[in-house]
Amino acid sequence: MQTLWSAWMQYLPLLLRGTAMTVELTAAALVVGVLFGFLLALGRLSRVPALDTLATGYVEVVRAIPVLIILFITYYGFAELGLVLSGITAAVVSLGGFYATQYGEIFRGAILGIDRGQTEAATALGLTSAQTMRRVVLPQAFFTILPPATNQLSNLIKDTSLVFTISVADLMYQANSALSVNFLPMDMLLEAGVIYFIFYLIIAKVLGRWEVSVQRRRN
Amino acid sequence: MSNDVVIRADRLSKRFGTLTVFEDVSIEVKKREVVAIIGPSGAGKSTFIRCINYLHTFNQGTLEILGHTIVGGHNHPSKDVLQDIRTRVGMVFQTFNLFPHLNVIENITLAPVEVKKVPRAQANARAMELLEMVGLPHKAEMYPKRLSGGEQQRVAICRALAMEPEVMLFDEPTSMLDPELVGEVLAAIRRLAKEGMTMVLVTHEMQFAKEVADTVVIMADHGVVEKGPAREVLESPRTERAQSFLHRVLNPEEVPDPLEQEVLPIGGRR
Amino acid sequence: MHIALEYAGTIGVGGLKDVALTVVSLILSIILGTLFALGRLYGPWPVRTLIYWYVEIIRGLPAILQLFIIYFGFTQWGINFSPLTAALIWLVAYGTGYAVEIFRSGIMEIPTGQREAAAALGLSSRTTMIRVVVPQAYAIMLPPLTSFVVLQLKNTTLLYLIGFADIMYEARLGVDATNHAAILYFMAALAYLILSLIIGRVGVRLERNVAAYR
Repeated sequence: MQTLWSAWMQYLPLLLRGTAMTVELTAAALVVGVLFGFLLALGRLSRVPALDTLATGYVEVVRAIPVLIILFITYYGFAELGLVLSGITAAVVSLGGFYATQYGEIFRGAILGIDRGQTEAATALGLTSAQTMRRVVLPQAFFTILPPATNQLSNLIKDTSLVFTISVADLMYQANSALSVNFLPMDMLLEAGVIYFIFYLIIAKVLGRWEVSVQRRRN
Repeated sequence: MSNDVVIRADRLSKRFGTLTVFEDVSIEVKKREVVAIIGPSGAGKSTFIRCINYLHTFNQGTLEILGHTIVGGHNHPSKDVLQDIRTRVGMVFQTFNLFPHLNVIENITLAPVEVKKVPRAQANARAMELLEMVGLPHKAEMYPKRLSGGEQQRVAICRALAMEPEVMLFDEPTSMLDPELVGEVLAAIRRLAKEGMTMVLVTHEMQFAKEVADTVVIMADHGVVEKGPAREVLESPRTERAQSFLHRVLNPEEVPDPLEQEVLPIGGRR
Repeated sequence: MHIALEYAGTIGVGGLKDVALTVVSLILSIILGTLFALGRLYGPWPVRTLIYWYVEIIRGLPAILQLFIIYFGFTQWGINFSPLTAALIWLVAYGTGYAVEIFRSGIMEIPTGQREAAAALGLSSRTTMIRVVVPQAYAIMLPPLTSFVVLQLKNTTLLYLIGFADIMYEARLGVDATNHAAILYFMAALAYLILSLIIGRVGVRLERNVAAYR
């Protein structure tokens, strides 16, 4: 018991350094995913056929490909074609590009879920389509978006654990390097697991509960 | 267009694929005139009134409105033209369509502030005047969900009036309301009519149409079957289709019960 | 182009292995998932709590971490699984965690009126479950089940990291031998894309079949 605890304590700083990288990666990929996802949703809802086809094609293809392969294509594949990305850049591009499809579909669903009468009323009042989107559609879509968006955030943070395969020093990477030194794979993996699980609980439970209370206050 | 004609629809037709919604509908609305469109459901009334402010396109015919001319078919009017029409034509919907995330006063001031760039304070003051007029000043801070249907519809009328429209369109404004709430909404519309607002009104309220409308248009079977001065059309319709429609709405108890056609004992077999 | 041809065969064989593993693990996790879901809904409280935390842990930990715990972690305690055994244990454990939630929400979405009507007709709770609730629940569950199948298939990409010879493993071998990362990883992506499309088609077909009464 004593030795177990000391191994956990000894490698905690290393794992926490990895955790910092995990958090940074998650934040960067989230920003990319949300912004790009919004554009994808607008593209799919656009009346311009070319935009619709382009966005739909992107979403359908990218979300069917496992994240690990996307990582390898952007890191190794792009490099072979002359576009050399650093591990971190490749990670942000891959995760952001993949989660944009998830966020895009969430946004699209929420926008489509808004009653037609709402846009009709806004149009009849003379609001432009941009104003209708900004003042009428998006504020209403926001609360439908929150729960699935939180869910995807917790998936995103878990998927950052794949970036160790392209040598980005995240939490999973540090756990692996620790276990290859101290030969305590179960301890190191469980310790990393506890850290991941804390993030999961914060996102799923705390955010989830906050959303429910906000929702309740609104009604 | 003679000077006091505000809207002239000339033989408008609307189709979705092979489905005809309405065909060859012509109406004319003069300044300060109230035109009521009545008729059985499915006659295309709601779609037609949406063509007037171009919420729906139409396939054929010519629409002259507030000095603009729109020809049906593939040439969409420019954004500026649509914007001009929509800021000058107000619309009230069957399902109210208030914005649920905005409170009453925000619902009313949204368009004046965003579209006409009216200063917020001025927009708020005007909104309060309008709420006063429909008897709802105390509900200004409430959200639509908290209001009864009749109150929501009166707010929706204020929202349209806040743009200071020259024409008001009403699409069955009372058909979603409980009977006891219809009166308060009709009172607001009646008041507008007295003040000389130009209005087109799709309605099921025959008595009300007779009272406020100058002209009544009966739409049935995808077209206009009769139109003329309200009292004349409603009291002594000339066409047979109009007669049968009016007879049925005025004497609902005479409509045969379909179950009586072929009486089956409940729980029995054929 | 000949590189693509050269490796198409081995990548295809890897794909077959992935499909086989996915199918086997799916069947097991759907059976276990149904049982766990019933336990989670109607079992005594220790069972309910246990299943609740099992699901949370499966959903809360990164997939790769779970796989590594089974394959590498257990070696610390002297337990050595072969890549295939570890892969199967993990896919079933993971799949069960997700299946529980899909089934549970499927069952909960059945209106209480259905149960009341069945009770009023004198059906036993067992018959109600088997004849009324579960068939409707399966229909509700079809769309999330389809995405669950795709998720499990995509999860097999991780197996190459413990040395299981699947699509990714073959692609990786090819890259190491030829340095043609772009084309080979693209082929791997294409393999998954095709498989996902097939699953999606089947899902839509099934949904259309049950749509009759939904």
